[in-house]
Amino acid sequence: MKGDSSYLDSRCLSVAVRVVLGGIFIYAAILKIADPVAFAGSVAAYRILPYFANYLVAAVLPFLELICGCLLVTGYRVRTGTLIVLAMNLVFIVALTSALARGLDIDCGCFKQGGEKTSPWVALGRDLVLLAMTIFVLKTERSSRQPQSKPEPAVVPYPEEP
Amino acid sequence: MVTSRHEGSPLCKRGNRGDLLFALRRGRRWRKVIASGIFMTDRKHLAILGEIVLVVVISAAAGLFWNRTLLLGAWQGELTPSAQAAQQGEQGDPLPMPIGLAQVKELHDGKQAVIVDARSAASFAEGHIAGALSLPLEQVRKDSAATLKAKVPATATIIAYCNGFSCHDSMDLGKLLMRAGYGSVYVYEGGFPEWRDAGYPTATGRT
Repeated sequence: MKGDSSYLDSRCLSVAVRVVLGGIFIYAAILKIADPVAFAGSVAAYRILPYFANYLVAAVLPFLELICGCLLVTGYRVRTGTLIVLAMNLVFIVALTSALARGLDIDCGCFKQGGEKTSPWVALGRDLVLLAMTIFVLKTERSSRQPQSKPEPAVVPYPEEP
Repeated sequence: MVTSRHEGSPLCKRGNRGDLLFALRRGRRWRKVIASGIFMTDRKHLAILGEIVLVVVISAAAGLFWNRTLLLGAWQGELTPSAQAAQQGEQGDPLPMPIGLAQVKELHDGKQAVIVDARSAASFAEGHIAGALSLPLEQVRKDSAATLKAKVPATATIIAYCNGFSCHDSMDLGKLLMRAGYGSVYVYEGGFPEWRDAGYPTATGRT
């Protein structure tokens, strides 16, 4: 019984982390979709991509975040959504590290565009937390897919013929 | 009984690189070879890879369709909607006209315009359009019209730029210049990033 309750606890925690992670990505995506020009400006501030590519990333990335967020929240194709979120987080971390290495004092452009500036250090810390959450979801999702040892079926005596 | 000489060798173990070599030697179809060799995985993993590609393609299609007007405008070097709103926002102020990369290059090459950099002096020193003049917005706000006209002739055609479309200093500088009496002022919204990425001449230093 104790084993069952701990399994249920870890399952609940996994679902909670997955839904929170998905919610964060949906929230970030909606803010970016609402103001693609400002987001293109935030991407351009990293000085990594050429001129038009900034617009292209600003157009496509929020929709990728939105779809992955929806997959995580609904629990449909979780592994696919989590793997894409993992890749996005790694890209964000590389971009932020590059900005920090070059001494760029820019807004990370992670959520609300054109609002209060979030320093790359804070954004990097936040991305590392998101990365840890993603890895947790990926691991727990994988373990939950493995066949559980089924309990022995209760033996019900067959009613005797009268 | 025909047996392969590879059977029993360590290369024949399933799931390792030997599977690829064995498949190649046995002349399996190339798709199977790639599947077993590159991804080193089974059909389930390939299905996940397919799903990832599908999600990326759907996102790209949705993003391109949703932002089609913006992307087309950016491709053609037009002003972004935010800059247009900034132009229309001020009451009765004279507004500078937008200008694209090709026209800036033409005027630059023909030395028909004075190109002014609205960014800070430090940013200007790091890199600027070759031949541009540093006119930091903050400095121009403090300067009188006479000081300004000592730097740039009143009859000159002026092109203001800053750090790309996310930066509105060039637009603000253009407005200040028009208020100071300059008649022919343009704003190059693509700014230094677009100029540099196009491979056009740049310079560093304070002059």
